[in-house]
Amino acid sequence: MSGPLDMTVVWLTWRQLFARRRIYVAAAFALLPVIFTIFFKFAADDYEGARLAFFSGVSRELIIGTLVPLAAALFGTTAFGGEVDDGTLVYLLVKPIPRWRIVFSKYVVAVLSTVGVMIPAMVLPWLMLSGPDLPFDVLRGFLLGGAGGAAIYCALFLSLGLATRRALVFSLLYVIAFEAVLSRNLVGVKSLSVREFAVAMSQAASNGAIVLKSYVVPMTTVWTMSAILLIGALALSLWQLSRYELAERV
Amino acid sequence: MSAATAMDGTSPFTPGAVARTHSVELRNVSRWYGNVVAVNDVSCVLTPGITGLLGPNGAGKTTILHVMAGLLRPSAGSVSVDGEGPAGNPGIYRTIALVPEGEAVQSFLTGYEFVHMSARLQQLPDAVAAARRAIALVDLEAAQGRTVSTYSKGMRQRIKIAGALVHDPGVLLLDEPFNGMDPRQRLQMIDMLRSLAQSGCVIVISSHILEELNDLASNVLVMVAGRLAASGHFREIRRLMTDRPHTFTIVSSNDRALAAALLSDESVFGVELAAPGVVVRTKDRGAMTRNLARVARDGSIRLLEIKPTDQSLESVFAYLVDR
Repeated sequence: MSGPLDMTVVWLTWRQLFARRRIYVAAAFALLPVIFTIFFKFAADDYEGARLAFFSGVSRELIIGTLVPLAAALFGTTAFGGEVDDGTLVYLLVKPIPRWRIVFSKYVVAVLSTVGVMIPAMVLPWLMLSGPDLPFDVLRGFLLGGAGGAAIYCALFLSLGLATRRALVFSLLYVIAFEAVLSRNLVGVKSLSVREFAVAMSQAASNGAIVLKSYVVPMTTVWTMSAILLIGALALSLWQLSRYELAERV
Repeated sequence: MSAATAMDGTSPFTPGAVARTHSVELRNVSRWYGNVVAVNDVSCVLTPGITGLLGPNGAGKTTILHVMAGLLRPSAGSVSVDGEGPAGNPGIYRTIALVPEGEAVQSFLTGYEFVHMSARLQQLPDAVAAARRAIALVDLEAAQGRTVSTYSKGMRQRIKIAGALVHDPGVLLLDEPFNGMDPRQRLQMIDMLRSLAQSGCVIVISSHILEELNDLASNVLVMVAGRLAASGHFREIRRLMTDRPHTFTIVSSNDRALAAALLSDESVFGVELAAPGVVVRTKDRGAMTRNLARVARDGSIRLLEIKPTDQSLESVFAYLVDR
Protein backbone atom coordinates (compact mmCIF):
# COMPACT_ATOMS: atom_id res chain seq x y z
CA MET A 1 0.00 0.00 0.00
CA SER A 2 2.95 2.32 -0.45
CA GLY A 3 2.73 5.32 -2.75
CA PRO A 4 0.14 8.03 -2.87
CA LEU A 5 -2.70 5.67 -3.80
CA ASP A 6 -4.45 3.30 -1.40
CA MET A 7 -5.64 0.53 -3.70
CA THR A 8 -8.41 -0.54 -1.28
CA VAL A 9 -9.84 2.97 -1.27
CA VAL A 10 -9.52 2.99 -5.07
CA TRP A 11 -11.38 -0.34 -5.28
CA LEU A 12 -14.11 0.79 -2.88
CA THR A 13 -14.59 4.12 -4.67
CA TRP A 14 -14.75 2.35 -8.00
CA ARG A 15 -17.45 0.02 -6.70
CA GLN A 16 -19.38 2.98 -5.28
CA LEU A 17 -19.20 5.06 -8.44
CA PHE A 18 -20.44 2.30 -10.66
CA ALA A 19 -22.98 0.81 -8.28
CA ARG A 20 -26.65 0.92 -9.17
CA ARG A 21 -27.64 2.86 -12.28
CA ARG A 22 -24.62 5.10 -12.55
CA ILE A 23 -23.00 2.72 -15.02
CA TYR A 24 -25.92 3.25 -17.42
CA VAL A 25 -25.69 7.04 -17.08
CA ALA A 26 -21.98 6.84 -17.83
CA ALA A 27 -22.63 4.65 -20.89
CA ALA A 28 -25.28 7.07 -22.12
CA PHE A 29 -22.80 9.96 -21.75
CA ALA A 30 -20.23 8.04 -23.79
CA LEU A 31 -22.66 7.05 -26.55
CA LEU A 32 -24.36 10.41 -27.09
CA PRO A 33 -21.66 11.83 -29.45
CA VAL A 34 -21.67 8.53 -31.36
CA ILE A 35 -25.40 8.90 -32.01
CA PHE A 36 -24.85 12.51 -33.15
CA THR A 37 -22.08 11.32 -35.48
CA ILE A 38 -24.30 8.64 -37.03
CA PHE A 39 -26.96 11.27 -37.75
CA PHE A 40 -24.30 13.57 -39.20
CA LYS A 41 -22.89 10.87 -41.49
CA PHE A 42 -26.25 10.07 -42.96
CA ALA A 43 -27.81 13.53 -42.97
CA ALA A 44 -24.99 15.96 -43.88
CA ASP A 45 -24.96 17.29 -47.43
CA ASP A 46 -21.20 17.87 -47.56
CA TYR A 47 -20.07 15.15 -45.18
CA GLU A 48 -16.37 15.11 -46.12
CA GLY A 49 -16.00 18.86 -46.20
CA ALA A 50 -17.74 19.42 -42.91
CA ARG A 51 -16.37 16.59 -40.80
CA LEU A 52 -13.51 18.58 -39.22
CA ALA A 53 -15.89 21.35 -38.24
CA PHE A 54 -18.41 18.79 -36.98
CA PHE A 55 -15.87 16.85 -34.93
CA SER A 56 -14.42 20.05 -33.47
CA GLY A 57 -17.88 21.28 -32.61
CA VAL A 58 -18.91 18.01 -30.97
CA SER A 59 -15.65 17.73 -29.05
CA ARG A 60 -15.64 21.33 -27.88
CA GLU A 61 -19.29 22.01 -27.20
CA LEU A 62 -20.83 18.64 -26.47
CA ILE A 63 -17.98 16.65 -24.92
CA ILE A 64 -15.68 19.24 -23.27
CA GLY A 65 -18.44 21.76 -22.73
CA THR A 66 -21.17 19.43 -21.46
CA LEU A 67 -20.33 15.74 -21.01
CA VAL A 68 -17.02 16.18 -19.20
CA PRO A 69 -18.39 18.59 -16.56
CA LEU A 70 -21.54 16.47 -16.14
CA ALA A 71 -19.55 13.25 -15.74
CA ALA A 72 -17.13 15.01 -13.38
CA ALA A 73 -20.09 16.32 -11.37
CA LEU A 74 -21.53 12.82 -11.16
CA PHE A 75 -18.30 11.06 -10.20
CA GLY A 76 -16.61 13.90 -8.29
CA THR A 77 -19.51 14.60 -5.97
CA THR A 78 -20.30 10.90 -5.46
CA ALA A 79 -16.72 9.93 -4.58
CA PHE A 80 -17.22 11.34 -1.07
CA GLY A 81 -20.83 12.47 -1.24
CA GLY A 82 -22.19 8.94 -1.60
CA GLU A 83 -20.53 7.88 1.66
CA VAL A 84 -21.52 11.08 3.42
CA ASP A 85 -25.13 10.52 2.35
CA ASP A 86 -25.44 6.88 3.39
CA GLY A 87 -23.31 7.22 6.53
CA THR A 88 -20.60 4.77 5.47
CA LEU A 89 -17.76 7.32 5.45
CA VAL A 90 -17.18 6.35 9.09
CA TYR A 91 -15.72 3.01 7.97
CA LEU A 92 -12.95 4.83 6.12
CA LEU A 93 -12.41 7.41 8.84
CA VAL A 94 -11.73 4.79 11.54
CA LYS A 95 -8.90 3.20 9.61
CA PRO A 96 -5.18 4.01 9.98
CA ILE A 97 -4.85 5.65 6.57
CA PRO A 98 -3.50 9.16 6.16
CA ARG A 99 -6.32 11.45 5.10
CA TRP A 100 -4.39 12.83 2.12
CA ARG A 101 -4.14 9.30 0.72
CA ILE A 102 -7.92 8.85 0.96
CA VAL A 103 -8.49 12.19 -0.81
CA PHE A 104 -5.93 11.47 -3.51
CA SER A 105 -7.21 7.94 -4.15
CA LYS A 106 -10.79 9.10 -4.51
CA TYR A 107 -9.70 12.01 -6.69
CA VAL A 108 -7.79 9.73 -9.05
CA VAL A 109 -10.77 7.38 -9.39
CA ALA A 110 -13.12 10.30 -10.13
CA VAL A 111 -10.75 11.66 -12.81
CA LEU A 112 -10.19 8.23 -14.39
CA SER A 113 -13.94 7.57 -14.45
CA THR A 114 -14.61 10.93 -16.12
CA VAL A 115 -11.83 10.41 -18.63
CA GLY A 116 -13.08 6.85 -19.13
CA VAL A 117 -16.42 8.28 -20.26
CA MET A 118 -14.75 10.95 -22.41
CA ILE A 119 -12.37 8.67 -24.33
CA PRO A 120 -14.98 6.54 -26.16
CA ALA A 121 -17.15 9.63 -26.58
CA MET A 122 -14.31 11.25 -28.56
CA VAL A 123 -12.47 8.31 -30.09
CA LEU A 124 -15.50 6.51 -31.58
CA PRO A 125 -16.75 9.57 -33.54
CA TRP A 126 -13.19 10.25 -34.70
CA LEU A 127 -12.88 6.68 -35.98
CA MET A 128 -16.26 6.92 -37.68
CA LEU A 129 -15.32 10.18 -39.37
CA SER A 130 -11.70 9.24 -40.19
CA GLY A 131 -10.16 11.03 -43.11
CA PRO A 132 -7.06 13.03 -44.15
CA ASP A 133 -8.56 16.33 -43.02
CA LEU A 134 -9.16 14.93 -39.52
CA PRO A 135 -5.64 14.11 -38.31
CA PHE A 136 -4.81 12.36 -35.03
CA ASP A 137 -3.47 15.68 -33.68
CA VAL A 138 -7.02 17.00 -33.53
CA LEU A 139 -8.16 14.01 -31.47
CA ARG A 140 -5.08 14.20 -29.25
CA GLY A 141 -5.61 17.91 -28.64
CA PHE A 142 -9.23 17.49 -27.55
CA LEU A 143 -8.42 14.38 -25.49
CA LEU A 144 -5.68 16.15 -23.55
CA GLY A 145 -7.72 19.32 -23.16
CA GLY A 146 -10.71 17.31 -21.96
CA ALA A 147 -8.53 15.36 -19.54
CA GLY A 148 -7.17 18.64 -18.18
CA GLY A 149 -10.72 19.92 -17.71
CA ALA A 150 -11.73 16.65 -16.03
CA ALA A 151 -8.81 16.95 -13.60
CA ILE A 152 -9.90 20.44 -12.49
CA TYR A 153 -13.64 19.73 -12.42
CA CYS A 154 -13.16 16.57 -10.34
CA ALA A 155 -11.02 18.41 -7.78
CA LEU A 156 -13.72 21.08 -7.42
CA PHE A 157 -16.61 18.62 -7.21
CA LEU A 158 -14.77 16.28 -4.83
CA SER A 159 -14.51 19.15 -2.36
CA LEU A 160 -18.16 20.06 -2.94
CA GLY A 161 -19.15 16.46 -2.09
CA LEU A 162 -17.61 16.88 1.35
CA ALA A 163 -19.07 20.33 1.88
CA THR A 164 -22.76 19.71 1.26
CA ARG A 165 -25.27 16.90 0.85
CA ARG A 166 -26.67 18.72 -2.19
CA ALA A 167 -23.36 18.67 -4.01
CA LEU A 168 -24.74 17.21 -7.24
CA VAL A 169 -27.43 19.91 -7.45
CA PHE A 170 -24.92 22.71 -6.80
CA SER A 171 -22.41 21.27 -9.26
CA LEU A 172 -25.08 21.04 -11.96
CA LEU A 173 -26.11 24.63 -11.26
CA TYR A 174 -22.46 25.65 -11.60
CA VAL A 175 -22.05 23.75 -14.87
CA ILE A 176 -25.24 25.18 -16.36
CA ALA A 177 -25.15 28.73 -15.03
CA PHE A 178 -21.44 29.52 -14.98
CA GLU A 179 -19.80 27.24 -17.51
CA ALA A 180 -22.58 26.94 -20.08
CA VAL A 181 -24.13 30.41 -19.96
CA LEU A 182 -21.84 33.01 -18.40
CA SER A 183 -18.47 31.83 -19.72
CA ARG A 184 -19.79 31.54 -23.26
CA ASN A 185 -21.21 35.04 -23.31
CA LEU A 186 -18.96 37.14 -21.11
CA VAL A 187 -15.33 37.43 -22.18
CA GLY A 188 -14.25 38.57 -18.70
CA VAL A 189 -15.57 35.35 -17.15
CA LYS A 190 -13.62 33.13 -19.56
CA SER A 191 -10.47 33.59 -17.44
CA LEU A 192 -12.30 31.77 -14.62
CA SER A 193 -13.97 29.07 -16.69
CA VAL A 194 -12.65 25.52 -16.57
CA ARG A 195 -14.35 24.84 -19.88
CA GLU A 196 -12.36 27.65 -21.52
CA PHE A 197 -9.15 26.33 -19.92
CA ALA A 198 -9.84 22.90 -21.41
CA VAL A 199 -10.49 24.42 -24.85
CA ALA A 200 -7.26 26.42 -24.66
CA MET A 201 -5.35 23.29 -23.59
CA SER A 202 -6.86 21.40 -26.54
CA GLN A 203 -5.57 23.99 -28.99
CA ALA A 204 -2.15 24.06 -27.36
CA ALA A 205 -1.82 20.26 -27.40
CA SER A 206 -2.87 19.78 -31.03
CA ASN A 207 0.37 20.84 -32.75
CA GLY A 208 -1.55 23.52 -34.59
CA ALA A 209 -4.23 21.13 -35.90
CA ILE A 210 -6.92 22.93 -33.90
CA VAL A 211 -7.24 26.60 -34.70
CA LEU A 212 -10.04 28.34 -32.86
CA LYS A 213 -11.39 31.57 -34.24
CA SER A 214 -13.06 32.73 -31.04
CA TYR A 215 -11.24 34.18 -28.03
CA VAL A 216 -8.91 31.68 -26.37
CA VAL A 217 -7.64 32.25 -22.84
CA PRO A 218 -3.83 32.80 -22.84
CA MET A 219 -1.93 29.72 -21.72
CA THR A 220 -0.18 31.59 -18.89
CA THR A 221 -3.58 32.31 -17.41
CA VAL A 222 -4.72 28.74 -18.07
CA TRP A 223 -1.79 27.11 -16.25
CA THR A 224 -1.86 29.58 -13.36
CA MET A 225 -5.60 29.36 -12.79
CA SER A 226 -5.66 25.59 -13.31
CA ALA A 227 -2.92 25.08 -10.73
CA ILE A 228 -4.65 27.37 -8.24
CA LEU A 229 -8.02 25.64 -8.66
CA LEU A 230 -6.62 22.11 -8.69
CA ILE A 231 -4.28 22.43 -5.73
CA GLY A 232 -6.68 24.69 -3.83
CA ALA A 233 -9.63 22.30 -4.23
CA LEU A 234 -7.59 19.23 -3.25
CA ALA A 235 -6.13 21.06 -0.24
CA LEU A 236 -9.66 22.10 0.74
CA SER A 237 -10.86 18.47 0.45
CA LEU A 238 -7.99 17.34 2.65
CA TRP A 239 -8.78 20.01 5.23
CA GLN A 240 -12.50 19.14 5.14
CA LEU A 241 -11.83 15.43 5.61
CA SER A 242 -9.34 16.05 8.42
CA ARG A 243 -11.92 18.20 10.21
CA TYR A 244 -14.85 15.96 9.33
CA GLU A 245 -16.97 15.17 12.37
CA LEU A 246 -19.71 12.62 12.84
CA ALA A 247 -22.31 14.53 14.77
CA GLU A 248 -25.08 12.96 16.77
CA ARG A 249 -28.37 14.71 16.12
CA VAL A 250 -29.27 16.38 19.41
CA MET B 1 -18.86 6.23 48.79
CA SER B 2 -20.96 3.37 47.46
CA ALA B 3 -20.19 1.40 44.37
CA ALA B 4 -22.87 3.39 42.61
CA THR B 5 -21.62 6.91 42.77
CA ALA B 6 -22.88 10.28 41.70
CA MET B 7 -20.44 11.51 39.11
CA ASP B 8 -18.78 14.76 39.94
CA GLY B 9 -15.25 13.78 39.07
CA THR B 10 -13.08 11.04 37.70
CA SER B 11 -14.38 7.52 38.18
CA PRO B 12 -11.72 4.91 37.58
CA PHE B 13 -12.75 1.38 36.69
CA THR B 14 -10.14 -1.26 37.15
CA PRO B 15 -11.58 -4.77 37.00
CA GLY B 16 -8.95 -6.63 38.97
CA ALA B 17 -8.67 -9.81 36.93
CA VAL B 18 -7.70 -8.06 33.71
CA ALA B 19 -4.24 -6.78 32.97
CA ARG B 20 -4.18 -3.07 32.24
CA THR B 21 -2.96 -2.87 28.68
CA HIS B 22 -5.24 -0.25 27.12
CA SER B 23 -7.12 2.69 28.54
CA VAL B 24 -9.46 5.49 27.56
CA GLU B 25 -9.54 8.65 29.63
CA LEU B 26 -11.99 11.53 29.42
CA ARG B 27 -11.21 14.65 31.42
CA ASN B 28 -13.98 17.20 31.85
CA VAL B 29 -15.17 16.58 28.31
CA SER B 30 -17.94 18.81 27.04
CA ARG B 31 -19.31 18.99 23.56
CA TRP B 32 -21.87 21.41 22.29
CA TYR B 33 -23.50 22.15 18.95
CA GLY B 34 -24.34 25.84 18.84
CA ASN B 35 -26.53 26.43 21.87
CA VAL B 36 -27.23 22.74 22.48
CA VAL B 37 -25.04 21.00 25.03
CA ALA B 38 -24.73 17.34 24.02
CA VAL B 39 -22.16 16.33 26.64
CA ASN B 40 -21.45 18.27 29.79
CA ASP B 41 -18.25 17.91 31.83
CA VAL B 42 -17.81 14.15 31.66
CA SER B 43 -14.77 12.53 33.25
CA CYS B 44 -13.95 8.86 33.48
CA VAL B 45 -11.15 6.37 33.03
CA LEU B 46 -11.92 3.09 31.29
CA THR B 47 -9.56 0.14 31.54
CA PRO B 48 -9.82 -3.43 30.18
CA GLY B 49 -13.25 -4.97 30.69
CA ILE B 50 -16.76 -4.21 29.54
CA THR B 51 -18.34 -0.90 30.43
CA GLY B 52 -21.96 -0.16 29.69
CA LEU B 53 -22.95 3.34 28.66
CA LEU B 54 -26.59 3.63 29.66
CA GLY B 55 -29.03 6.44 29.05
CA PRO B 56 -32.19 7.43 27.23
CA ASN B 57 -32.15 8.51 23.61
CA GLY B 58 -30.47 11.89 23.21
CA ALA B 59 -28.51 11.54 26.44
CA GLY B 60 -25.19 12.01 24.66
CA LYS B 61 -24.06 8.36 24.49
CA THR B 62 -23.22 8.44 20.80
CA THR B 63 -21.47 11.78 21.18
CA ILE B 64 -19.29 10.32 23.94
CA LEU B 65 -18.46 7.26 21.82
CA HIS B 66 -17.57 9.48 18.87
CA VAL B 67 -15.39 11.65 21.10
CA MET B 68 -13.60 8.51 22.33
CA ALA B 69 -13.21 7.37 18.72
CA GLY B 70 -11.72 10.70 17.64
CA LEU B 71 -14.60 11.40 15.26
CA LEU B 72 -15.67 14.41 17.31
CA ARG B 73 -13.42 16.94 18.96
CA PRO B 74 -14.46 17.96 22.48
CA SER B 75 -15.55 21.59 22.77
CA ALA B 76 -13.84 21.59 26.17
CA GLY B 77 -11.75 19.06 28.08
CA SER B 78 -9.56 16.33 26.69
CA VAL B 79 -9.70 12.69 25.69
CA SER B 80 -6.86 10.21 25.38
CA VAL B 81 -6.62 6.61 24.21
CA ASP B 82 -3.49 4.87 25.46
CA GLY B 83 -2.14 8.33 26.23
CA GLU B 84 -2.75 9.74 22.73
CA GLY B 85 -5.41 12.14 21.53
CA PRO B 86 -7.56 10.29 18.98
CA ALA B 87 -8.85 13.26 16.94
CA GLY B 88 -6.82 13.85 13.77
CA ASN B 89 -4.63 10.84 14.56
CA PRO B 90 -5.34 8.08 11.99
CA GLY B 91 -2.63 5.85 13.50
CA ILE B 92 -4.79 5.41 16.62
CA TYR B 93 -7.21 3.27 14.58
CA ARG B 94 -4.79 0.36 14.83
CA THR B 95 -5.97 0.33 18.47
CA ILE B 96 -9.55 1.65 18.29
CA ALA B 97 -12.49 0.04 16.54
CA LEU B 98 -15.95 1.56 16.34
CA VAL B 99 -19.22 -0.16 15.52
CA PRO B 100 -21.52 2.74 14.69
CA GLU B 101 -25.24 2.80 15.33
CA GLY B 102 -27.65 2.18 12.48
CA GLU B 103 -27.61 -0.14 9.53
CA ALA B 104 -25.36 1.85 7.22
CA VAL B 105 -22.95 -0.54 5.53
CA GLN B 106 -21.79 -0.52 1.91
CA SER B 107 -24.79 -2.56 0.80
CA PHE B 108 -23.35 -3.39 -2.64
CA LEU B 109 -20.51 -5.39 -1.07
CA THR B 110 -20.79 -8.97 0.09
CA GLY B 111 -20.28 -9.64 3.78
CA TYR B 112 -16.86 -11.10 3.04
CA GLU B 113 -15.86 -8.14 0.86
CA PHE B 114 -16.83 -5.74 3.64
CA VAL B 115 -14.73 -7.49 6.28
CA HIS B 116 -11.85 -8.16 3.89
CA MET B 117 -11.89 -4.48 2.94
CA SER B 118 -11.61 -3.59 6.64
CA ALA B 119 -8.64 -5.95 6.98
CA ARG B 120 -6.91 -4.44 3.95
CA LEU B 121 -7.54 -0.89 5.17
CA GLN B 122 -5.95 -1.97 8.47
CA GLN B 123 -2.96 -3.06 6.36
CA LEU B 124 -2.92 -6.52 7.94
CA PRO B 125 -0.28 -8.89 6.54
CA ASP B 126 -2.81 -11.69 5.93
CA ALA B 127 -6.08 -9.89 5.30
CA VAL B 128 -7.84 -12.99 3.95
CA ALA B 129 -7.18 -15.08 7.07
CA ALA B 130 -8.08 -12.16 9.34
CA ALA B 131 -11.37 -11.62 7.49
CA ARG B 132 -12.30 -15.32 7.67
CA ARG B 133 -11.49 -15.44 11.38
CA ALA B 134 -13.59 -12.33 12.13
CA ILE B 135 -16.54 -13.65 10.11
CA ALA B 136 -16.33 -16.96 11.99
CA LEU B 137 -16.38 -15.04 15.30
CA VAL B 138 -19.78 -13.59 14.47
CA ASP B 139 -21.03 -16.84 12.92
CA LEU B 140 -21.73 -15.45 9.46
CA GLU B 141 -19.72 -17.88 7.34
CA ALA B 142 -22.82 -19.22 5.61
CA ALA B 143 -23.96 -15.77 4.51
CA GLN B 144 -20.58 -14.18 3.77
CA GLY B 145 -21.00 -14.52 0.01
CA ARG B 146 -24.30 -12.62 -0.07
CA THR B 147 -24.48 -8.88 -0.62
CA VAL B 148 -25.12 -6.91 2.56
CA SER B 149 -28.31 -5.50 1.00
CA THR B 150 -29.89 -8.94 1.51
CA TYR B 151 -28.94 -9.11 5.21
CA SER B 152 -31.37 -8.76 8.10
CA LYS B 153 -30.80 -6.02 10.68
CA GLY B 154 -29.13 -8.48 13.06
CA MET B 155 -26.84 -9.81 10.33
CA ARG B 156 -25.80 -6.27 9.44
CA GLN B 157 -24.92 -5.64 13.06
CA ARG B 158 -22.82 -8.80 13.14
CA ILE B 159 -20.97 -8.05 9.92
CA LYS B 160 -20.21 -4.55 11.24
CA ILE B 161 -18.81 -6.13 14.40
CA ALA B 162 -16.73 -8.55 12.30
CA GLY B 163 -15.33 -5.57 10.39
CA ALA B 164 -14.42 -3.91 13.66
CA LEU B 165 -12.80 -7.03 15.16
CA VAL B 166 -10.70 -7.88 12.14
CA HIS B 167 -7.54 -6.26 13.54
CA ASP B 168 -7.91 -7.38 17.19
CA PRO B 169 -8.57 -3.88 18.55
CA GLY B 170 -7.46 -2.87 22.02
CA VAL B 171 -10.41 -0.52 22.40
CA LEU B 172 -13.80 -1.55 21.02
CA LEU B 173 -16.64 0.99 21.00
CA LEU B 174 -20.09 -0.41 20.21
CA ASP B 175 -23.08 1.86 19.71
CA GLU B 176 -26.33 -0.02 20.44
CA PRO B 177 -24.84 -3.25 19.07
CA PHE B 178 -27.70 -5.59 19.99
CA ASN B 179 -30.34 -3.81 17.90
CA GLY B 180 -32.02 -6.36 15.68
CA MET B 181 -30.25 -9.40 17.12
CA ASP B 182 -32.28 -12.39 18.22
CA PRO B 183 -31.67 -13.89 21.71
CA ARG B 184 -29.36 -16.63 20.40
CA GLN B 185 -27.23 -14.13 18.50
CA ARG B 186 -27.13 -11.89 21.57
CA LEU B 187 -25.89 -14.70 23.79
CA GLN B 188 -23.26 -15.63 21.24
CA MET B 189 -22.17 -12.00 21.00
CA ILE B 190 -22.04 -11.66 24.79
CA ASP B 191 -19.75 -14.72 25.05
CA MET B 192 -17.49 -13.32 22.35
CA LEU B 193 -17.29 -9.87 23.95
CA ARG B 194 -16.55 -11.40 27.34
CA SER B 195 -13.61 -13.39 26.05
CA LEU B 196 -12.38 -10.30 24.21
CA ALA B 197 -12.54 -8.30 27.45
CA GLN B 198 -10.63 -11.02 29.28
CA SER B 199 -7.87 -10.75 26.72
CA GLY B 200 -7.31 -7.11 27.73
CA CYS B 201 -9.66 -5.19 25.44
CA VAL B 202 -11.44 -2.06 26.65
CA ILE B 203 -15.03 -2.48 25.51
CA VAL B 204 -17.66 0.23 25.75
CA ILE B 205 -21.26 -0.67 24.87
CA SER B 206 -23.97 1.96 24.67
CA SER B 207 -27.57 1.05 25.31
CA HIS B 208 -30.80 2.66 26.43
CA ILE B 209 -32.01 -0.58 28.00
CA LEU B 210 -30.54 -1.50 31.39
CA GLU B 211 -31.41 -5.19 31.10
CA GLU B 212 -29.46 -5.39 27.84
CA LEU B 213 -26.30 -4.85 29.88
CA ASN B 214 -27.25 -7.55 32.38
CA ASP B 215 -24.67 -10.36 32.57
CA LEU B 216 -22.39 -8.37 30.29
CA ALA B 217 -21.17 -5.06 31.66
CA SER B 218 -19.82 -5.24 35.17
CA ASN B 219 -19.54 -1.47 35.18
CA VAL B 220 -22.21 0.91 34.02
CA LEU B 221 -22.01 4.63 33.32
CA VAL B 222 -25.41 6.30 33.35
CA MET B 223 -25.76 9.35 31.14
CA VAL B 224 -28.70 11.72 31.34
CA ALA B 225 -29.05 14.96 29.39
CA GLY B 226 -25.36 15.00 28.54
CA ARG B 227 -24.18 14.48 32.11
CA LEU B 228 -22.68 11.43 33.73
CA ALA B 229 -25.36 10.88 36.35
CA ALA B 230 -24.12 7.75 38.08
CA SER B 231 -21.67 4.94 37.75
CA GLY B 232 -21.09 1.59 39.34
CA HIS B 233 -21.70 -2.09 39.06
CA PHE B 234 -24.72 -3.21 37.11
CA ARG B 235 -26.46 -4.55 40.25
CA GLU B 236 -26.00 -1.27 42.10
CA ILE B 237 -27.45 0.74 39.23
CA ARG B 238 -30.40 -1.61 39.00
CA ARG B 239 -30.99 -1.38 42.75
CA LEU B 240 -30.93 2.41 42.54
CA MET B 241 -33.47 2.36 39.78
CA THR B 242 -35.72 -0.14 41.57
CA ASP B 243 -35.53 1.40 45.05
CA ARG B 244 -36.12 4.97 44.00
CA PRO B 245 -39.34 6.68 45.17
CA HIS B 246 -42.30 5.42 43.17
CA THR B 247 -45.74 6.86 42.56
CA PHE B 248 -48.85 4.71 42.11
CA THR B 249 -52.43 5.57 41.36
CA ILE B 250 -54.77 3.14 43.16
CA VAL B 251 -58.49 2.98 42.46
CA SER B 252 -60.55 1.17 45.11
CA SER B 253 -64.07 0.71 46.40
CA ASN B 254 -63.37 3.31 49.16
CA ASP B 255 -60.53 5.67 48.18
CA ARG B 256 -60.85 7.92 51.25
CA ALA B 257 -60.61 4.99 53.70
CA LEU B 258 -57.71 3.50 51.76
CA ALA B 259 -55.85 6.85 51.87
CA ALA B 260 -56.29 7.09 55.63
CA ALA B 261 -55.11 3.50 56.15
CA LEU B 262 -52.06 3.89 53.91
CA LEU B 263 -50.88 6.98 55.84
CA SER B 264 -50.05 4.70 58.76
CA ASP B 265 -47.72 2.62 56.56
CA GLU B 266 -44.08 3.65 57.11
CA SER B 267 -43.11 2.91 53.50
CA VAL B 268 -45.59 5.55 52.31
CA PHE B 269 -44.59 9.22 52.50
CA GLY B 270 -47.36 10.85 50.56
CA VAL B 271 -51.03 10.26 49.85
CA GLU B 272 -53.32 12.42 47.77
CA LEU B 273 -56.90 11.92 46.76
CA ALA B 274 -57.44 12.02 43.03
CA ALA B 275 -60.53 11.64 40.92
CA PRO B 276 -60.90 8.73 40.89
CA GLY B 277 -58.40 6.97 43.15
CA VAL B 278 -55.52 7.74 45.47
CA VAL B 279 -52.05 8.84 44.42
CA VAL B 280 -49.53 7.14 46.70
CA ARG B 281 -45.83 7.99 46.95
CA THR B 282 -43.53 5.39 48.43
CA LYS B 283 -39.81 5.07 49.00
CA ASP B 284 -40.01 1.25 49.17
CA ARG B 285 -42.08 -0.18 46.38
CA GLY B 286 -41.81 -3.78 47.59
CA ALA B 287 -42.93 -3.04 51.16
CA MET B 288 -45.77 -0.79 50.03
CA THR B 289 -47.23 -3.32 47.60
CA ARG B 290 -47.02 -6.05 50.25
CA ASN B 291 -48.68 -3.85 52.89
CA LEU B 292 -51.33 -2.63 50.48
CA ALA B 293 -52.96 -6.05 50.33
CA ARG B 294 -53.07 -6.28 54.13
CA VAL B 295 -54.45 -2.74 54.53
CA ALA B 296 -57.15 -3.42 51.95
CA ARG B 297 -58.13 -6.69 53.56
CA ASP B 298 -58.25 -5.20 57.08
CA GLY B 299 -60.42 -2.30 55.90
CA SER B 300 -62.62 -4.47 53.67
CA ILE B 301 -61.63 -2.32 50.72
CA ARG B 302 -61.73 -3.80 47.24
CA LEU B 303 -58.79 -2.82 45.03
CA LEU B 304 -59.92 -2.10 41.48
CA GLU B 305 -56.78 -0.80 39.82
CA ILE B 306 -53.11 -0.24 40.70
CA LYS B 307 -51.12 1.71 38.16
CA PRO B 308 -47.51 2.97 38.41
CA THR B 309 -47.45 6.53 37.10
CA ASP B 310 -43.74 7.27 36.71
CA GLN B 311 -42.31 4.26 34.89
CA SER B 312 -41.01 6.06 31.83
CA LEU B 313 -37.28 5.59 31.26
CA GLU B 314 -36.82 9.34 31.34
CA SER B 315 -38.32 9.57 34.84
CA VAL B 316 -36.02 6.79 36.05
CA PHE B 317 -32.96 8.57 34.68
CA ALA B 318 -34.20 11.94 35.92
CA TYR B 319 -34.30 10.49 39.41
CA LEU B 320 -30.65 9.50 39.15
CA VAL B 321 -29.74 13.05 38.16
CA ASP B 322 -31.75 14.70 40.95
CA ARG B 323 -30.62 12.23 43.58
